[in-house]
Amino acid sequence: MTEKLKLGVFELTDCGGCALNLLFLYEKLFDLLEFYEIEEFHMATSLSGGGHYDVALVTGTVSTRRDLDLLKEARNRSEYLIALGTCATHGSVQGSVELPIKEKLKAVYGDEGNPMHALDPKPVVEYVAVDFALPGCPYDKREAFQALIDIAKGIEPVKKDYPVCIECKLNEYECVLVKKGLPCLGPITLGGCNAACIRSGLGCIGCRGPLPGEVNPASEYEILKSKGYDDEYIVRKFKTFARWEP
Amino acid sequence: MRYVKLPSENFGEFFNFLQRLGPTYGPVKEGKTHHFREVKGVSEMDLNYTRTMLPPKKFFVRPRERLFRLENGWWKEEDGERPFVLFGVHACDIHGLKILDKVYLSDPVDPYYSKRRQNAFIVGISCMPDEYCFCKSLGTHFAMDGFDLFLHELPDGWLVRIGSVRGHEVAWENEKLFEEVTDEDLRHFKEFEEKRANAFQKEIPQEGLADMLDLAYNSPVWKDYAEKCLACGNCNMVCPTCRCYEVCDSWVDAYSSVRERRYDSCFMESHGLVAGGHNFRPTRLDRFRHRYYCKSYFDPSSGFNCVGCGRWDEFCPAGIEHVKVLEEVRGSLR
Repeated sequence: MTEKLKLGVFELTDCGGCALNLLFLYEKLFDLLEFYEIEEFHMATSLSGGGHYDVALVTGTVSTRRDLDLLKEARNRSEYLIALGTCATHGSVQGSVELPIKEKLKAVYGDEGNPMHALDPKPVVEYVAVDFALPGCPYDKREAFQALIDIAKGIEPVKKDYPVCIECKLNEYECVLVKKGLPCLGPITLGGCNAACIRSGLGCIGCRGPLPGEVNPASEYEILKSKGYDDEYIVRKFKTFARWEP
Repeated sequence: MRYVKLPSENFGEFFNFLQRLGPTYGPVKEGKTHHFREVKGVSEMDLNYTRTMLPPKKFFVRPRERLFRLENGWWKEEDGERPFVLFGVHACDIHGLKILDKVYLSDPVDPYYSKRRQNAFIVGISCMPDEYCFCKSLGTHFAMDGFDLFLHELPDGWLVRIGSVRGHEVAWENEKLFEEVTDEDLRHFKEFEEKRANAFQKEIPQEGLADMLDLAYNSPVWKDYAEKCLACGNCNMVCPTCRCYEVCDSWVDAYSSVRERRYDSCFMESHGLVAGGHNFRPTRLDRFRHRYYCKSYFDPSSGFNCVGCGRWDEFCPAGIEHVKVLEEVRGSLR
């Protein structure tokens, strides 16, 4: 390989987990470095490219003017941009707070002053076109690895198209919705996480956002209702990670 | 068919012998569900189970499996198939395997399935139906073949039917563990079967099912249920006769990759998608209805691809019941 692809990792407003998750690839990082050189990634290099990126990974929501500027910069300078993690793809928890920014500032700080130029938190996909969206809070690092190697080899990464239930059953986990009556959003949530929460005996919290296409939240709502959960609880659960759809 | 009796006191020794044939898998209770797991002793199993979550299909078409690996430009088969024992399989699941045989063993033969089928020693076991079972009305409540040995519960042991040459060999090798069947044993066997036959709470009138579906394609009942259906694919995953799989390649490291396959579901939007962008079943309604036609219409030669195991009803999050849907569809024609 003569020339490596230039990779930039950009972090907007988020908990930092999604950027860190890349470093948790550990030895697999060296496989990525066979094809990529990291030009910008504040957790891994002091370089700050400012040039052209073949692939840009963007994590977090656009929550401030600085985020928006950074996102536009990343988009304008990159060939292939991946919205990485649920903040970037669906807005996640930050995006779920419904009041307009001025009212939120007032509720929290007592006045409407906005020295940080805060904006209503919205996912990356609301502002720029993305080439690939990989949700998850955090996303599955193996999925990011597959996508990056695919791109390096000239293959368009394949989007997941199935709900959490599929991997849950493939792993033979006991169904927590049917057998324990736990509020599980698995049937309407995009899979790819290998049903991590159900493995621990918990219901799916929907962190990967709704299954694209003809998803059926109405029926899920009726099911949870029949198990004794009230309206407000169910609606809040639905909206926690995905008020904004890609 | 040869019948012998396995007295209760010899059951443990018989099981120990089977373990010498290879790793033995039996029904194990975990939480509120049963699964086929590797077992080392009789006490680990719960032989009074009604159904496992995944059917024994999982030993022949694995939920997920690596087919081969690409390394240095060469494909390498993932091998390591060995003989194994499947203990405590119910009649409906044996029928399920026979239906899969028609798919995977007819030309072109699936080499993975075929190897595992030859490696398996299958011991069937009698059962009592629960509220979900409807195998009797489909004629899949009793297996005449498709097993090596089949154990029927008696008050003081097991009546064993021998269903294959290998089954005979095992019986001969362990002649001292078995006794001749007495008239009393046969009476007990008949009593058990009668009690069982009367215990079914659900049935699907198979008569005219295909004709009925022929007429009912546009029944409003499909639409009502498609609105309830989550299209989550749980029913496909637990079905003993669903046979669709997805094949994916994934990277192991920078220069090697594996080809894997996993169960696929006809409830996924991409299932009916073909090259050029056409989708045979673009809506949830299409996909919901399709499943019933796949199970009860397309292939009468395979006993209609449904064995009445009740897994769908037990594991559907939306509580959709197979028999009830078909009954309502039939009703909508009147």
